[in-house]
This record gives sequence, structure tokens and C-alpha cells, in this order.
Amino acid sequence: MSVVVRRNIPQIIVALIIVLMVIFYFFYIEKPVSDAFGTADKALSDWAIVITAIAAIVGGIDILRYHANQIRKRERRQIIFSSIVIVLEIIMVSLACYALSSGIAITTQPNFQWLYTYLYAPADAAMYSILVFYIASASYRTFRARNPPAILLLIVAIIVMLGNTSLGAMIWEGFLPLRDWIYNVPNTAAFRPITMGIGFGLIILGLRLIIGKETTWMGRRE
Amino acid sequence: MAKEEKRRPFGMAQIIYTLLVISIVIPLLNPVGLPIGISSTTRDVYNYIENTLPAGKPVLIDLYYEMAARAELEPQVAAVIKHLFEKNCKLVFVSTITYGPIVFELLKSTAADLFADKTYGVDYVFLGYIAGNEPAVRSLATSIRGTVAVDNYGTAISALQMMANIDKAEDFALVFIASSGTDTFGWYVRQWYTPYDIPLLFGALSVIGPSIKPYVDAGQAIGMLTGQRSAAEYETLVGRKGLGLASMDAQSFAHALILIFIIIGNIILFATRSKPKPEGGRRK
Repeated sequence: MSVVVRRNIPQIIVALIIVLMVIFYFFYIEKPVSDAFGTADKALSDWAIVITAIAAIVGGIDILRYHANQIRKRERRQIIFSSIVIVLEIIMVSLACYALSSGIAITTQPNFQWLYTYLYAPADAAMYSILVFYIASASYRTFRARNPPAILLLIVAIIVMLGNTSLGAMIWEGFLPLRDWIYNVPNTAAFRPITMGIGFGLIILGLRLIIGKETTWMGRRE
Repeated sequence: MAKEEKRRPFGMAQIIYTLLVISIVIPLLNPVGLPIGISSTTRDVYNYIENTLPAGKPVLIDLYYEMAARAELEPQVAAVIKHLFEKNCKLVFVSTITYGPIVFELLKSTAADLFADKTYGVDYVFLGYIAGNEPAVRSLATSIRGTVAVDNYGTAISALQMMANIDKAEDFALVFIASSGTDTFGWYVRQWYTPYDIPLLFGALSVIGPSIKPYVDAGQAIGMLTGQRSAAEYETLVGRKGLGLASMDAQSFAHALILIFIIIGNIILFATRSKPKPEGGRRK
């Protein structure tokens, strides 16, 4: 394919859609024109929904393929885990298909629900809960009063932790209002520039897409 | 050589972990019932729903969390639902994450008392999982019926009594986003608040809270609830003892224990600092 078809035409389409979306999002447009664009805009959103839904199927197939390759490579450590993933994926998809063919919602299919509630849910929750052990051991190593900034961090951490708990209020009632103040004032002051920075980053990304400088979305580097 | 030393089966880390498990499990099994103060952020949310939100109006609730975040977010959601049902609000549940449908079923089973006297299709509906992330949120704002033809259980949206007059963003009085991610809040700010001026309420994990606070302070959301602490506070305000309050004792004791670790860590630091440096060598 020529460069025009492979590169320039997709870039022009993307740039045109971005410009139109910016105009219709930020500026007042006469109602008939706005309504007409609204229909096209809705179609674009619906395309995104359909593509994402199909991407989920692609993801499922990709997981299956990846773990099938792991088994084929006969890696002793990985083989058991990959087998479990494949077996469970097949079971879950089969149950979901069975639910759909029976005319009921997938999540209300009893076997699917049982596997999800009593197998997946505890495993997922346990993975997240393990973090508490890392946090506990990291806390007494990290919050050491080595220098003035570290002392400040330590004081703030103690106030926030005591403010978060009922024990803090039992020691001194001022911990909760003080935690609220830290949360509302210095914290917001620190995060606002980050949020604004992300916004500016998005604007720059949009501008780069419009002028055709950003090509990574097409699967190639500049 | 340190590497050649045999690993101790029960070292300092294991002692800390064991103490932590004890400090969490014992209060969970035998709740002490420590008193809970109400923070200004939670009270603001409660006051908005109580005094400003029009009674009987539709509210959209996006359940965007997975099992790992369920412990923190489900108590918040249950407490807010109780408050909204008390105001006779019509609740439209939706999920923009794949876990949503199962999360909703679990919510209904753990907070069965909230849904007991409510009728599906009249008081609440569940649209199910809608793929597409931000474009899906945008599409819902434009038209629900144009986005999904059926609800999570396969019933046509047009057949649901409650949905007769609910279709687009302007039909809602509030959107409550219970999310374990950060991006979700931005989607609704951009697609529901900015173009349609629909009030937003955030329900987030404790770690996410600081990063979304600027939206609240800028007035783009009416307020936010963060973590189990906010859930426990809201449960206190609405008078429903749930998982939030139940886990606060455990959280309090775990935090207290971590504080003790921090103090011990600093005592060790000062003790080693005060020792004279060995000649010709550097001390860590």
C-alpha cells in the first residue's frame, strides 16, 4: 500500500474528527447543525463500544493462546498455572454460553455465579489484601526522621493515620479536623498542578495528532 | 557471608506480619465499637443528598470496581443507596467495567435489606456492563435507549416502567460513581458535568482520594467518599450498621500497630545514630 493510503488518509480522518469534536464540545453551534453532528457523534461512540466489546473477545483468545504456548514449551514451573488458566477460562466461557443459550443473564447462572463468588472473588481480594503486609513493613522503614523533609512526612503521616482511625479521636479530637485540613488544602494544592499537567498533556497530544506528528497510534514510531 | 546464612524461619518481618494479622482478625471477630467522628467531606455529601437533591428524581450509579476493591467501596455504595431510597430516588445502575454485573449481584445479596421492599423496573434497574469506557459514558449521556436495547437480564429498556421518562443525562439529578480507578471520575466530569451540568458524587478508594480531590474543590463534583472510613461515617449518618462500621475497629488497631512500628523504627534509628562511628568505615 502506498504511504498515502497507509498513513496520510488515516491521519487526515483522525485530525478532522478531533477538530470537529473540539468545535462541537467547546463552542455554541446552531441547534440544527449541532443535532446533525450529535447523530454522527453518537455513532462514533457506539463504534467505540462495539470495538471494545470485540476487543474483550480478542483478549480472551490471546490469553488462551499465550498459555497454550507456555504448555507447548513444556516449562515445568509454568505448566500447572497455564493449565489451570486454560481449564477455568473454558469452564467460565462454556457456562456463560450455556446461560445465554438458556435465555438468562450470565451473572445469574448458578454455576457461573458460584465459581465467581467462591473462587475468583476470594482470590482477587486476597491478592489485594496482601498489600497490607508490605505497607506495614515498609512504613517502619520509610518513615524515619532522617532529615527535616522526612520529619515533616512523618508528622503528616501520623496525623493522617490517627485522623483516619477511631483511636486518634480518643487521643485528641483535633486529629480529624487536622486530617481534613491536610486533605483539603496542601493535598489539593499538590494534586491540582498534576491534574492540570495531565490536561495540558492531552491538549498537546491532540495538537500533535491534528498536525500529524503523533503516529504511535498507527503502530509505528516517528 | 550474609547470603550464605540460613534464612530464619521466623524473623522480624514474620513477627510484624503475625501481629498485624492478630490486630485485624481479633477486632473483626470481637468488635469493640470505637466511636467514629464525622469528617467534613462525608457530612457535605450527606447534607447534599438530604437537603439539595430533589426527592424521587432518577440517580445514575456506576459500579466500576472489582473484587479487590469491594471491601472498601461496597459499604459506601450500600449506605448511599439506603439514603437515596429513603428519598424515593429512582436508581439506574450501570457498570463500565466487566466485573460490574457480578458486583451488582453481590451487592444485592449482601445488602438484601435495601432492596427487599423495592421492585425491579419500578424503583431500580440495572443496565449491565457497557463496554467502551469514556465513549460509553458519552453515549449514555446522549441516549440510554440508543446505547443499550436491553437491561442486564435481557428485558427491553422500553418495557421497564421506570425508564419511560429516563433516557439522557438531563433526566438525572445526580450521578454516583463508585470506582476503584482514577480515570472513571474524569470521564463523567468531561461527559456529564461539563456539557450537561449534572451533579456528580465520587466514591473512591482511600489511595485514589487525594488525586480526585481537585475535581471536588473545583465544584465539578458535589463531594466524595473515600475508603472504609467514609463508608463507616456514612453508615453512622444514615443509621445502617454495615461492613464499613464493622471493619473500622480492625482498621483502627492495624493503624495503631503500624504507628508503633514507625515509632520503634525511629527509636532504632536514633539509637544507632548516637553510637560512635567505627573507624575507617561507613555506617549505613
